[in-house]
Order: sequence, then C-alpha cells, then structure tokens
Amino acid sequence: MNNQEAKFILGGYRPGGHDAGDAMFCEALKQAQADPVLGAWFAREQAHDAAVAAKLREIAPPAGLREAILAGARVSGTKPAAWRRPVWMAMAASVAVLIGVTAALWPNRAAATAPLTKFAMADALEISKHGGRGAAERELRGDLTEASTRLSGRLPVDFAALAKTGCRTVDVDGQTVLEVCFKRDGTWFHCYIARCGDFPALAAKQGPVFAENGKISAVTWADGAHRFVVAGPAGRETIARLL
Amino acid sequence: MERNAALKTSMSSEVFSQLVDAHYTPLYRFALSLAKNSADAGDLVQQTFFIWATKGHGLREAAKAKSWLFTTLYREFLRARRREARATSLEDLAPGEADVAAEEVDRVTRMDAASVVAALRSVDEVFRGPLTLFYLEDLSYQEIAEALDVPIGTVMSRLSRGKAQLRAALAREETAAKSKVVPFEGTAGRKQA
Repeated sequence: MNNQEAKFILGGYRPGGHDAGDAMFCEALKQAQADPVLGAWFAREQAHDAAVAAKLREIAPPAGLREAILAGARVSGTKPAAWRRPVWMAMAASVAVLIGVTAALWPNRAAATAPLTKFAMADALEISKHGGRGAAERELRGDLTEASTRLSGRLPVDFAALAKTGCRTVDVDGQTVLEVCFKRDGTWFHCYIARCGDFPALAAKQGPVFAENGKISAVTWADGAHRFVVAGPAGRETIARLL
Repeated sequence: MERNAALKTSMSSEVFSQLVDAHYTPLYRFALSLAKNSADAGDLVQQTFFIWATKGHGLREAAKAKSWLFTTLYREFLRARRREARATSLEDLAPGEADVAAEEVDRVTRMDAASVVAALRSVDEVFRGPLTLFYLEDLSYQEIAEALDVPIGTVMSRLSRGKAQLRAALAREETAAKSKVVPFEGTAGRKQA
C-alpha cells in the first residue's frame, strides 16, 4: 500500500475513533504511524474532520419537531410498529402492536397551503368577526376548552346541528365551514371544521400538518368525516400540545 | 384483557418515543444538509418516522433501525426531488488532491455552525450525503454504503472529493462572512472630527 492508497482509506476513518477496531483501517493506520509525512497528514485530516463534526453537533432540531413527530403518530391513529426492545434498552420483551394506517394519513404539505388553512390563518387574526351561540356550539366549545381533551381524539361534531343552531359559519371556496373559538391556558385558539366531502382535493384522512406565517400558527388534519384546522397566535409547539 | 392491551399500547408508545429521542436529532442534521430549509428538513424527519411506524416493524436491532432511518430519509429526499443527471457526471471529476492545511482547521473552529452547514450545503449533492453521514459519526463507511446503496469504494471516493469541495466552500463562506463585517468607526471617527 502506498501513501496515496493509505490516504484514500484513512479518509473514511471517523474522527471520533469509532473505527479503531475496523480491520480495513489497520494497515493504513500502521503506515501512518510509521511514516511521519503520512502521520502528519492524517493528524491534520482528523483535526479538520473533528472540527467539522463538532460544528454539526451544535445544530439543534427546531423546537417542537419531536412533539410533532409523536403527535403525528398519535393524531393519525398510528400505533408504533411492533418492535423488539433493542439491545441498548437492555430489555428482551417484545411489543406487538397493529398498525392500521396508510400513507394517506400522514402529513401532506399541500394541506398546509390549501385554501382552508390559508383562510383560517387569516381569519384567526380578525377576532372581531368571531362568535357563536347555541347548545351544540357551547358543548363543542366546552370539549375544546377542557384541558384533558386531546384534539387528536375523535371530536364530537354534529356538523348539521352546529350549523343550524348558531355556530359561526364561514364560506371557503363556496363551502360552509364551522368556526369555534376556545381558550386553553389563557390563549385563544380557533377551530375550523369542514366536511371532508366538501374539499375532495384534500385527503379525507390525514395526520397533522403545521403551517406558520409569522403571526399565526395552524395545524390541519382530517379524520375521514371532517377536516379540522386549529389556528392561533401561540406558536407551533403550543398548538402541537393540543393534539 | 383490556388492561393488558392498554399496557402494551403504552409500552409501544414509550418505545417509539425512545426511538424518536435516540435518532431525530442526527436525522434532522442530515436532513438539513440535504433539504432547502429547516421546514423541509423537519418534514423529511417526520416522514421518515412515519414510514418506520408503518414498515419498520420487522427490524430487531437498534443498529439496524438507525441505518434504516438514515436510508429511508435519504430515499425520501431523492424521491421528493428526483436525481439530476449531473449527479453521475460528477463521478468523473478528478479527486481533490489538496491536503488539509493547519489554518483550515482553525478556520472551521472560528466559524459558527450555521456557516459550516451553509458550506456543507454547497457541496454537490452526490458527495453531500456520504460526507454529512461521515461527519455525523453515527454510521461507519460500510453503513453509509448500505444507506446510500453504493459500493464502499464509491463512498471512500465521494468522501475524498466531498472533503475537497467542502474545504473550498468553507474558505468561501469565511470570506463572504468577513466581507459583511462593517468596521466600527465610532471612537476613531469622533476623534478625527
């Protein structure tokens, strides 16, 4: 092996020493120890690689990504796949869970830019127009306000009764959409509810898709019967916690 | 019976949470180097875990789960974006021969993480995948080869060329950053006046 070949191989040697036990690197490492020129090259290469790796480790995922992943599985009705507990958990127990969702349930970016979401994000800023009445609206608002209600569960929506008895309705692309305001932990949110059949371009079953425009954050999902958009100024992370 | 079912579900949710906790950060860093922006990177990570939840149930070992997640994320990225014909022609480029100079190490240390990621993003895509996985240190060269579905020799070659491109990009980033610095004229200016 000449030095050029050794360099080629050592270029794949990770800076953290993870590959120290890998036989493929042995000969090249020995050569780097024996040859001062190659050794100096390898030291600089490793120092550079370590510096870049350290910078990458400084990158943190955006706030709320973890919650969005977990909420996504929950709101879609996804049960995590059967998974034998891994070695690193030092457990041998296996977990058997059925999965009953299809890819159609998972976030689709198109939903975030769909007219309904756009409308909700604009309308959530114009709270002077909001307001509703009627027993059905009060009942739904009560459920939405209740801290223990996870919006990912099936919400009790009787669309016709709500529309007939005084729940606020708005028109989006010629379709009737309900809007109910509710408050959690002192923050107002606005829940828009449409019938899935009224928006055939969007998947009837879909996991949460988040959208933000600087002022308002929103999440939209569909449970087969209804499409929901919840919008408010509290930020994506806070909205994700409602799911 | 019902209690057992509830227990199973709660255990599996916990396991899924632990899987997410163990891997979502490096996956996001990898996605960020590939995608156009942070939002797209987040979407890629979410999509990857969804596919895990629906298809990854046959995997038994944590190490395989990790490789599987990186592989799936990369495939999802390619699927969403479609390979450019240019990617293969880059294979014919001559490898970067220039060795690392001592000051290049100092340069990286001086730069902030965002600038280093910006430099990494400017590396040609065909080299960027293996290069980022290498720097994340989560996968060995063999696992990178499996994840990207290329031979080991190709990984080594792409690392060599990718590193050369990255060094050039880091130099450009630093120069660009310096040119944005506006000299402070406060005290000197007042004295002269």
